[in-house]
Amino acid sequence: MNALVIKALAFAAILIVATLIVVKQMHIDLSDPINAITMLGAVAIATLAFGVSAKYIAQMKTDKAQGELAEENWDGIGEYKNELPSGWAYSFLGTLIWALWYWTVGYPVNAFSQIGQYNEEVKAYNKKFEAMHKNADKETLKQMGESIFLVQCAPCHGTTGDGLSGKAQDFTSRMTKAQVLHVINNGQHQLDFPMGAMPPGMASGKDAEDIAAWIAGGMKGEKPAAFAACASCHGADGKGNNGMAPNLTEYDVTLVSHVLEHGKKGIIGRMPSFKTRMTPVQEKALAEYIQSLKD
Amino acid sequence: MFHWLEKRPFFFAVGVFLVIAFAGLIEILPNFAEASRPVEGLRPYTVLELAGKEVYKKDNCIACHSQLIRPFKAETDRYGQYSLSGEYAYDRPFLWGSKRTGPDLHRVGNYRTTDWHENHMWEPSSVVPGSIMPAYKHQFKNIADLETAYAEAVTVKNVFNVPYGDDIKPGKAAWEAYKPKVLAEAKKIAADMKNKDVKDAVAAGKVPEVVALIAYLNSLGSSRYEAKK
Repeated sequence: MNALVIKALAFAAILIVATLIVVKQMHIDLSDPINAITMLGAVAIATLAFGVSAKYIAQMKTDKAQGELAEENWDGIGEYKNELPSGWAYSFLGTLIWALWYWTVGYPVNAFSQIGQYNEEVKAYNKKFEAMHKNADKETLKQMGESIFLVQCAPCHGTTGDGLSGKAQDFTSRMTKAQVLHVINNGQHQLDFPMGAMPPGMASGKDAEDIAAWIAGGMKGEKPAAFAACASCHGADGKGNNGMAPNLTEYDVTLVSHVLEHGKKGIIGRMPSFKTRMTPVQEKALAEYIQSLKD
Repeated sequence: MFHWLEKRPFFFAVGVFLVIAFAGLIEILPNFAEASRPVEGLRPYTVLELAGKEVYKKDNCIACHSQLIRPFKAETDRYGQYSLSGEYAYDRPFLWGSKRTGPDLHRVGNYRTTDWHENHMWEPSSVVPGSIMPAYKHQFKNIADLETAYAEAVTVKNVFNVPYGDDIKPGKAAWEAYKPKVLAEAKKIAADMKNKDVKDAVAAGKVPEVVALIAYLNSLGSSRYEAKK
């Protein structure tokens, strides 16, 4: 054993001991397999680093230049002709063949698509989301509804849902007298309820005024006789006959989801459709929250 | 062969360039050709929308608003379907933007309407409390440059084969013949607006910038390729 090897081993030993001291000081548990493997790696690095250095230092001391010189040289600095090692050459050929296969078959036939993966993940997530909140309680739905409302609805309806003084529907009450009159006079066919289109002029003159005032007043007091015309579709209590026609008293899930689906142009302006932007659970949550805005 | 190249630095450089250029071409070109194709059914911007796009550029909306929805759940939840490269096929230049001081606008036409934009451009904080966007009241007074927008349509039709109809062609006479169509589109938007000055101007055959801008904003989103259905 010559001095060089002894020196290399000594350096490696110092490094390993130093590592062990650090391990000890940091209270790293070497019985843990990951820590043990990492320690093994550290030992290997220390040994290899000094071993390889020792080998090349020894080679530099004894090696003589030999081989066939290439023709070209730069200012007297020449280059030996080194044949490509056969292992290297074969693996290079292998990659060429693989590239041909990948170009013609591998990629086109089995193309990975990042956006496809994203779409699948979103689909799976939405499914999980729906399943998780299938039987969510009122309070959860209300909280979920609030956060959806603040992002999607608040820019038009205001953060408090009051419609920003007439710029959009005011959710603190159901309908104003002007709105009811507008619907009675113009009919309503945009929401696609099972009852179908409401024709204009179901009531007129004082009857219409009475109905509008009564509905706008929260349907309190004496029911106007002319409301019978409305009741045939909207129900005697105005609650919409279990989803057959819009609910006139509150924003129930059926009404909210129909408006989200179709959008609506009314006396105030136009609301665009929010189709496909919310899952059924989110629509339910939104309806829950909007109902809670009532004065 | 390689020793031959090594002795000739110039040809070596040429060889390196060729190899890298070839690799670049086969990497980039097919994808580029695919991506620049319009999505199915996409219609080009109308002349009024092009005029609005000019207003969008002129008033530098791009400084605070992006037009690119990335495929992240948080973004698609808020703004809708992520953007597809084919949707920008008729955008010259595209207005992706790089900073969102305000929200993304690539699908704003899907969830905002003419009346909302009118309130918002007049006084942003009236509809979005706490908004730091400045008011753009001058757009209700300034008249949009429809002729330049028309010229742009003619140019992109002739140079890039953008599929406009036969009635978009060079010449003052052709523009005069086409103008009523643009005004009719502007009237439809003005009908949904409340501002008296705007309504009067449109009735008198002039289109305020805000009308063109609203036409452009309403066109952002899926309406430009779902209208065919």
